[in-house]
Amino acid sequence: MHSKKIYITSSGIISSFGIGLNAFKEGLSKPPVTSAFKDFEFHSLDPAISCITVNGFDPVAVLGKKGLRLKDHATKLILGSFEQGLKEIMEHTDDDNRPGICVGTAFGSVQSIGDFLSDSIVNGVNIVNPQAFANTVINSPTGNTNIKFVARNLSTTVSTGFNSGIDALIYAFNYMQRGYIEAIVAGGLEELSYYSMLGLQRTGLISSTGKGLPFSKEADGVVPGEGCALFLFDTEESMKTNNRTPVVEVVGTASAFDPSLAQNGQSDGDVAAHVLSEVCNDAGISTNDVGFIASSASGNRLTDSIEAAAIKKVFDTNVPVTAYKAFTGECYGVSGALNLACAITDLKNGQISGIGNSYSCFNSIPLVFSPIKKDNTFCIVNSVSCDGNCSAVLIKNVE
Amino acid sequence: MSQNRVVITGLGLVTPIGIGNDTFWKAAVAGKNGVRPLVQFDPTEFRTKTGGEVLDFNPSSYLTDEEIERMGRSSQFAVSAAKMAVEDAGISIGEENPYKFAVCMGTTMGEPQILEKGVKIKYKTGDASDIPSDLPRQYPCGTIPANVARTLKTKGPIIITPTACAAGNYAIGYGYDLIQLGKVDVVVSGGSDPFSGIAFTGFNRLLATTSDVCRPFDLNRNGMAVSEGAGILILERLEHALARGAKIYAEILGYGLGCDAYKMTIPDPAGSGGIMAFKKAIHNTGIALEDIDYISAHGTGTVENDKIETLIVKEILKEHACKTPMSSIKSMIGHTMGAASAIEAAACALMIQNNVMLPTINYKDPDPECDLDCVPNIPKEKELNTVISNAYAFAGNCSSLVLRKYKG
Repeated sequence: MHSKKIYITSSGIISSFGIGLNAFKEGLSKPPVTSAFKDFEFHSLDPAISCITVNGFDPVAVLGKKGLRLKDHATKLILGSFEQGLKEIMEHTDDDNRPGICVGTAFGSVQSIGDFLSDSIVNGVNIVNPQAFANTVINSPTGNTNIKFVARNLSTTVSTGFNSGIDALIYAFNYMQRGYIEAIVAGGLEELSYYSMLGLQRTGLISSTGKGLPFSKEADGVVPGEGCALFLFDTEESMKTNNRTPVVEVVGTASAFDPSLAQNGQSDGDVAAHVLSEVCNDAGISTNDVGFIASSASGNRLTDSIEAAAIKKVFDTNVPVTAYKAFTGECYGVSGALNLACAITDLKNGQISGIGNSYSCFNSIPLVFSPIKKDNTFCIVNSVSCDGNCSAVLIKNVE
Repeated sequence: MSQNRVVITGLGLVTPIGIGNDTFWKAAVAGKNGVRPLVQFDPTEFRTKTGGEVLDFNPSSYLTDEEIERMGRSSQFAVSAAKMAVEDAGISIGEENPYKFAVCMGTTMGEPQILEKGVKIKYKTGDASDIPSDLPRQYPCGTIPANVARTLKTKGPIIITPTACAAGNYAIGYGYDLIQLGKVDVVVSGGSDPFSGIAFTGFNRLLATTSDVCRPFDLNRNGMAVSEGAGILILERLEHALARGAKIYAEILGYGLGCDAYKMTIPDPAGSGGIMAFKKAIHNTGIALEDIDYISAHGTGTVENDKIETLIVKEILKEHACKTPMSSIKSMIGHTMGAASAIEAAACALMIQNNVMLPTINYKDPDPECDLDCVPNIPKEKELNTVISNAYAFAGNCSSLVLRKYKG
């Protein structure tokens, strides 16, 4: 049993659905909009990549002009996410009780890092702007946010590849269980950047058809996306003291590493299955209590097949599985946090979103193609990455 | 708050003054200077020509050709140090439950040499498709703990906290928490950073680098020395360590984190984050101020850092400050970025074991604004029971880790 009950009481999100959690309900009812991503400030991708970009975010309109000149896209995304309610919470809490900040990201401000390097190569190491150096540390977006809100209690960045966002949630959960702090803004962040896109293109992970087909045996890769999704984690005491309203309770977490998957790209799914069982144990519930699984499937056949095998081992075909990356794309470090936002939306609306036209899935897992109306209490947000990371968070709907 | 006591049972070090515990310790006690004219990195265009390089690192001594091929230098350091630490701890992971082993790492730059290599290829040939297809996979810093875990075949949680130059302490702290929470029995924890052209360029442009050697707390200190290395500590649940008869270097009592929330590259002149981290460390561990026998300083050798760190210690320890020695091993190894606090934590464990405080070398002229005992130039013997290791970072990330002699 956990020593503290942890609730999510607020959020700040910028995604392909738009601004805020409220945009998710409509977003999950429509097919995703992809756009060809090719030109960056200094570079071009060849060929262009079909991506799913954030929608409706104008940094100047949201954040104002002042102070934006040296902030990169990743930092603007996180600062913009705070503008939806989290900002007021930060500003209206005294210094000692101000929430900490914990953000997961796979690549951090890689566009800034690469541009700093490119600038030093092209123009010379004694010409490059020293102020731009601050953006080259991976914790730059988190740090900039701490600075903006004078948040001194915690500034942590977590990076575990595709699992970064969900592992940041787990870090925050554990940090609070240890009693160090009563509230943390936790989540994920990822920007679409030339360098990460080029790298993924060279690695062959990206879909050439521009269609992410989660769990499909015919999938040809992932459709990259971006965004920022942050949640306010509150202990029960903090929630009551600050008169905040619970959205969901975080009741369990689990994570493990699959050395076989990391070593040779092969796995029987045992480690991922261990995580699915363990997250239920951690929450003190039976696997039969799980209403649905928010999987991390994205169209990467390797990890999708392993996740399918794991789900089959633990749940057989008894629990509906959805794959929100069909809507958001593969958003790397923010994907776990975006999946959590989708899962909260479905829990709150008494449904499980369907991903559209049906197809044959690995292990015949019960992927939801057409929306299912059903009130659920528990949902697992799961993540399996090609690095071997396997993580899950279990949430409980709170009326 | 403590439920499970956590002890250090193994150490692995890759540093500019020596690889392996014994070599490192002998060099550190001798006051060896690892900040030298750069050899592997060409500094011709820079105002600074010195730094810390691990010149005698031969990855083949620890890794297979296949492993070397698919790992960046940061991972190579980390995996090598992890293998040393596991061997030092005498743990047979294959005979234990692999889910009870976690890997927690910290870094500043991750694998910058991979990005540097890829970008240079693109500029050299003008064709991005000349970048080898297996290179990009090596870049994300999440590959560092993954490479450690896959090599050791552990199955518990893995994480990396890229919280800049305090990252090692963050990783050790989180590993400590995982054992406290009963999630795992053993944590392979630490930090790793290779020499980074990006970091060297950036610190040069900020005029933060020394012109020659690193001289923390000295009146004429003129900057930090960009360096590289890795430090790994095996953290173990006490009962687990005792059950297998492990040797114990020291106990980890806890830690504290804080943040300046001031500027990205400039520390808060009032030391707010460092004071908070120090206070939390004391609160979380329940130690008394007079119990602190020694402080391992962040001690970068920049004018501002050393002055502010002195202020922080005085603010916390009050009248005890002048009686509490505080030295900086960065004077010997330079600033190894995300590895720094992990190497320093390992050094603290060795200092506790040997009852010797490592010196701040290159110290000549006292600075009235840094007037604590920095253990100048020569190591000092002292019974060390409780020590604190401070680490600060870009974005104002501050941390203090508390170690104590294990006495049963």
